[in-house]
Amino acid sequence: MSGIHVEGLGKRFGERTAVEGLSFHVRPGEVFGLLGPNGAGKTTTVRMLTGLLRPSEGEATVWGHPVDGDGEPLRKVVGLLTEQPGLYDRLTARENLRFFMKLHELDEARAWPRALHYLERFGLGGREEEPVGGFSKGMRQKLAIVRTLVHDPKVIFLDEPTSGLDPESARTVRDAVAELASEGRTIVLCSHNLAEVERLCERVAVVKRRLLAIGPVKELRRAGHALDVRVDGEAERYRNVLTSLPFAPNVLAEGARLRVMLADEAHAPDVVACLVGAGARVHSAVPAQRPLEEVYLELLREGRG
Amino acid sequence: MAFRPRRALAVFWKDFLDLRKNVGLLVSMAVLPTVMVLVPIGVVWSYVRTPNHADLRSVALFYDPSLPLGASAARFLIDKTLTDWFGMFLVMPVFVPILIASQSVAGEKERRTLEPLLASPVTAAELVTGKSLAALVPAVAITWVAFVFFCVGVDVVAWPLVKMPLMPDALWTFGVFVIAPLFAFFGNGVAVLISARVSEARMAQQLSALVVLPIVGMVGGQVAGFLKAGLGYYALQGAVVLVLDAILLWASIRLLDRERLVSRWG
Ligand SMILES: Nc1ncnc2c1ncn2[C@@H]1O[C@H](COP(=O)(O)OP(=O)(O)OP(=O)(O)O)[C@@H](O)[C@H]1O
Ligand SMILES: [Mg+2]
Repeated sequence: MSGIHVEGLGKRFGERTAVEGLSFHVRPGEVFGLLGPNGAGKTTTVRMLTGLLRPSEGEATVWGHPVDGDGEPLRKVVGLLTEQPGLYDRLTARENLRFFMKLHELDEARAWPRALHYLERFGLGGREEEPVGGFSKGMRQKLAIVRTLVHDPKVIFLDEPTSGLDPESARTVRDAVAELASEGRTIVLCSHNLAEVERLCERVAVVKRRLLAIGPVKELRRAGHALDVRVDGEAERYRNVLTSLPFAPNVLAEGARLRVMLADEAHAPDVVACLVGAGARVHSAVPAQRPLEEVYLELLREGRG
Repeated sequence: MAFRPRRALAVFWKDFLDLRKNVGLLVSMAVLPTVMVLVPIGVVWSYVRTPNHADLRSVALFYDPSLPLGASAARFLIDKTLTDWFGMFLVMPVFVPILIASQSVAGEKERRTLEPLLASPVTAAELVTGKSLAALVPAVAITWVAFVFFCVGVDVVAWPLVKMPLMPDALWTFGVFVIAPLFAFFGNGVAVLISARVSEARMAQQLSALVVLPIVGMVGGQVAGFLKAGLGYYALQGAVVLVLDAILLWASIRLLDRERLVSRWG
């Protein structure tokens, strides 16, 4: 059984429930996004899936290994990029990587060229003999990513991989993630960066302690529908009539344009009829795709209720 | 869960490398042996300088009222100093592993390196073994090197009076090669256990260092004349520490749990 299977996973720390009732599957070779605000339980989930924390409830297998087993076979196939790079400052970049090669009992003569390839790719080529203490924040992050990859893991968990990186480095990392996925690896990416998740992930789970939504990014966007309406004059005037409709849509007004969020596409004609009834001259009404951010924020609002 | 010596050795390799580059720690580790070697040599030298000082006899009689009239008080006091000082010398094998192990276990937490480490295949037992080796090997090595300097120093200084090598004697040889490693194991065990519970290296160091107090207290008792040190006395100390070592080993295997280590408030 490859990929990741999560069934009813939950974690309590004393009184506080960090995660509950989480279920999802990640197919082999998929890039899966775990999206949620601060404290949503993303890191806790990743820690459970890498055998660092024991789940309080539910079960999960990663590449066929149960996460509550002895953990050693599990830890051999996964690579974890932790939230903090966690490097040894007094050691050089090379020594940091060699340590993890030894922990994975790799043949260093074979593993080192691979690591060097990633170092060069991330612009760290030629710096490998320098102590890591002198590296910038972004350089450390990139070195930590290389360390995650030294043992050629089948499943990779990346907890906010682009935090602290400049746009160019972030792009390099994103390209590398896409490439790793194309090599058939399974990748779970935690992030609050919507654009990144949108660009890289085939499917996304929006979490806030519980699972709020899951699906391909495209479908999530369609989870609500939007109608873009162009009217004569100030669109703001028509906001109140629209929000008093029985299905109470969310309305944004900007200049002569109205954006009406709908739970159901079938309400579109009612919106137009209502506007016409209120005396508006409607020039156009087109279904629109909502940016993921809007969907995300709406899901979080619903999740709170 | 198989124990893989290679992974334990990897941890040892990394910690040892880190120690070699940690100048601050190396300096604090060097101070103790220097004091441990120089102080007794100085004391012996002061007896050798004035062997016939009248007061020496009174001091010697305080410790042993049955001291024969013909015996040299200076020689008696030199022997007593050397015997008593071994108790003090034991502070070194206890303290050096505390310095190193606190840094290496709590330090991993403090610098957030523990989580990636625990996400690797290394098991808790391998981790503790590697880290313990990284603390014990330098501690025992430093103790033995200091012992060599101590022997040479004492013999050189005492020669004018005794005209024969005093060191190494049976007590010290047995002590340094058998009792000292047991004490090092003890200091390391305490530091590892405490480090696993607190989140700062400094705190781990300060708490673990408290175990030195009973050792110093015993030496105080010897100097005050309450306790009479000798081979049997130190062998008894060693036996007690051996029992404590076994308890510590059992406790560290039981208590070192991945989850507890990774939890922020563990
Ligand atoms: N070891 C722990 N002990 C107690 N509570 C914890 C522990 N780890 C996490 N928590 C709590 O669990 C909740 C989820 O935390 P988690 O770190 O998983 O969130 P996150 O989604 O990764 O957030 P962020 O985006 O800020 O990284 C938080 O309320 C946090 O305080
Ligand atoms: Mg997090």
